[in-house]
Amino acid sequence: MGLGLLASRLIRPQKTAARNLLLRSIVTKPELQSAEPATTPQPDLPPRTPLAGARVHFPNPDDAIEVFVDGYPVKIPKGMTVLQACEVAGVDIPRFCYHSRLSIAGNCRMCLVEVEKSPKPVASCAMPALPGMKIKTDTPVAKKAREGVMEFLLMNHPLDCPICDQGGECDLQDQSMAFGSDRGRFTEVKRSVVDKNLGPLCCDMIKLGRVLWGIVKLLGVQDLGMLGRGSGEEIGTYVEKLMTSELSGNVIDICPVGALTSKPFAFKARNWELKGTETIDVTDAVGSNIRIDSRGPEVMRITPRLNEDINEEWISDKTRFCYDGLKRQRLNDPMIRGADGRFKAVSWHDVLAVVAEIAHQVKPEEMVGIAGKLSDAESMMALKDFLNKMGSNNVWCEGNGPSPNADLRSGYIMNTGINGLENADVFLLVGTQPRVEAAMVNARIRKTVRGSNAKVAYVGPPTEFNYDCEHLGTGPETLTEIAEGRHSFCSTLSNAKNPAIIVGAGLFERSDKDAIFSAVEAIAKNGNVVRPDWNGFNVLLLNAAQAAALDLGLVPESSQSIESAKFVYLMGADDVDLEKLPNDAFVVYQGHHGDRGVYRANVVLPASAFSEKEGTYENTEGCTQQTLPAVPTVGDARDDWKIIRALSEVAGVKLPYDTVGAIRSRIKTVAPNLLSVEEREPATFWASLKPDATQKTSSTPFKAAIENFYMTDSITRASKIMAQCSALLLKK
Amino acid sequence: MSITWNLLGAWKSIREKGFGAFLRELKDEGYLNCLADGNLLQTKIHNIGAKLIGVDKFGNKYYQNLETIHGRHRWVEYAEKSRYNASQVPPEWHGWLHFITDHTGDELLMLKPKRYSIEHKENLSGEGEEFIYHSKGHSLNPGQKDWTRYQSWQPTKTK
Repeated sequence: MGLGLLASRLIRPQKTAARNLLLRSIVTKPELQSAEPATTPQPDLPPRTPLAGARVHFPNPDDAIEVFVDGYPVKIPKGMTVLQACEVAGVDIPRFCYHSRLSIAGNCRMCLVEVEKSPKPVASCAMPALPGMKIKTDTPVAKKAREGVMEFLLMNHPLDCPICDQGGECDLQDQSMAFGSDRGRFTEVKRSVVDKNLGPLCCDMIKLGRVLWGIVKLLGVQDLGMLGRGSGEEIGTYVEKLMTSELSGNVIDICPVGALTSKPFAFKARNWELKGTETIDVTDAVGSNIRIDSRGPEVMRITPRLNEDINEEWISDKTRFCYDGLKRQRLNDPMIRGADGRFKAVSWHDVLAVVAEIAHQVKPEEMVGIAGKLSDAESMMALKDFLNKMGSNNVWCEGNGPSPNADLRSGYIMNTGINGLENADVFLLVGTQPRVEAAMVNARIRKTVRGSNAKVAYVGPPTEFNYDCEHLGTGPETLTEIAEGRHSFCSTLSNAKNPAIIVGAGLFERSDKDAIFSAVEAIAKNGNVVRPDWNGFNVLLLNAAQAAALDLGLVPESSQSIESAKFVYLMGADDVDLEKLPNDAFVVYQGHHGDRGVYRANVVLPASAFSEKEGTYENTEGCTQQTLPAVPTVGDARDDWKIIRALSEVAGVKLPYDTVGAIRSRIKTVAPNLLSVEEREPATFWASLKPDATQKTSSTPFKAAIENFYMTDSITRASKIMAQCSALLLKK
Repeated sequence: MSITWNLLGAWKSIREKGFGAFLRELKDEGYLNCLADGNLLQTKIHNIGAKLIGVDKFGNKYYQNLETIHGRHRWVEYAEKSRYNASQVPPEWHGWLHFITDHTGDELLMLKPKRYSIEHKENLSGEGEEFIYHSKGHSLNPGQKDWTRYQSWQPTKTK
């Protein structure tokens, strides 16, 4: 023993260490070992703050009861569990199987606490709190119970923490550090299970006790279950089925341990290497709140962020696993197509000069600008300003159809709000399949159906829902029947307290769009769907850019503009039909992926993807949110609005903004709601102001707006995982 | 006494090899550096009467003299006479030199794993940037960073 060590031992004010050193090689903190008496009630102390901002809502003030947690009096509503009471009192109870959004399973036994006059420790997550109950959470009994449970749980746990993907963010690790014993007494052979094939997204590696019972409740498809008994019990899908829910990725977040982990992320990175960036998702119009975890220039994974109004704490599989598309098929250099039809990389200086020169050669009305599905509000504003300055007004966003209704905001957003759907009791889905168009909205509808037995009916092509859904018809004639009161569904609608109609944005592309919308409005009027206290008329948009584009007034001047176009500016637009475009038209494609739009392009301008830029997006319910850059741009790519700003200067029609702040103040003059970030701006006027449509509905039945849930935009089409998913899961 | 023996030995080698070869040997063995380098001179004086235990593959000589103070009875004379440092001692001799073991490096060399062991390399810190290890992609690594973390779209694949 060195002299320095001896000296430090003398200096250190520790009483027991020197004595124990000879006896114990591993020394735990003596404070944890000693059995202290239960804390005596100290009512003079100020009350502890509730855990993690836990709020108490008293539905009925008479139902408030008082319990004592470690001597502190706490007022809680009747029906709360002991665990919730402890949370309100600011005491964190260790738990595995309890999840506030799932039903109570009560099988992990980790949350044992001592209750006075109870002979045994009780599982606090399943025990309702009773008036005057005296709960003790840090007595020797509770500690011993936790330690014992921990030892049982770790009994068959493999010793693979150093290579386990959950390492570092594992509840089991944290809690065994905090509550577990410092040594195991298990000397038998540990049990092992074979990896099961759960599909391309999740892999199951090990199983811990019985903690994972509640998972099935969320997915709505009874895919996962327990097989076997006792130590032979395993998680499995029945008959090696694949998990086919579009929300299956969420089991990764629910699972507190490494039993179910993300397959694409498996063994790629450790979570302490990752940088988290709180941003939003753009693969659908919901705008789910996500966190992008990146390591250096790579996006390593995407996880959900809590937002009660939009996605709660779930995200769809497309959102979660599309990130590998961000690394493939990227455009990284400006390119010009030569005379031989091959692209050649050139400098920004040259390419902007070429584009500006050609833009001046065509007539203003022959210029067309199309914003893509993933465009942010800033770049759409810049595109519209640029084309207006050049003299053209043919600018629109793909997916909004040839003649979008941008005048009344209530005609293109979800007026009820995603959260508000929970109050509805009858749903009428018109030409939409929310399960593939907006999986998070579908999860809300499902929650409502399960929670309050709401009725759902749909008009559209026959599809599969994961809740009971009545099929009314396939085309506009069914709508007309309901509007004229000839359909049996009318009575259900008129008897409903809070009916909600959801119209799919796929109908925007139809030529009889106005007639369909006036039919839906007639239904809304007859069914009393729009009242001062309840607006049940909703449009479910498909793409992240749509709502902001309509707010900014990206409406084409004529619906025939493509046929006569000589200069087309595609800002990430890949799904526009360019068949009718004249062969001599000059196409500029500005975007981040080499997707459909590039094949017709004469010039390619590389732009940054949503993970690399700061952009404003408005989701389908009219909530404005912003993305934040998580990773650097690739190659020579630039932000969308900066490219257009630079092009405008080269073309001699300089746009008057140089910064994001300046462009936002320009947006403020057009659509001020796009600046109130994270706020939902409801529509003020109702569609009754609209003139009556003179159009006739056609008899063509509604089509599915999205054929493939997993591949809807340039990012998801470039993703290998999404390609695997659609090959495996959609084939079936 | 021992000085006399050394002088006699020197005289003998001059007679055997000639004066030129003797001077060359003096230079190679670092006796000329001794004039400026006190450490080396001290080692050379220490070596007198000590037992040469072994020589490693780099030419470092390991001496032991059990007559001297305990704890200073093993030392190394580096093969490199001007820029020597402790990292020039290979691992097999390190244990012997630091009294971790009594087995000499030659004995321990037999324990050297065949399949995965790599050659000992001295620590070249401070000897210049070109000697220091720089990882792939480091700005001081002479090799070009010729890869990207993303896969770019290949224009030649278009129709």
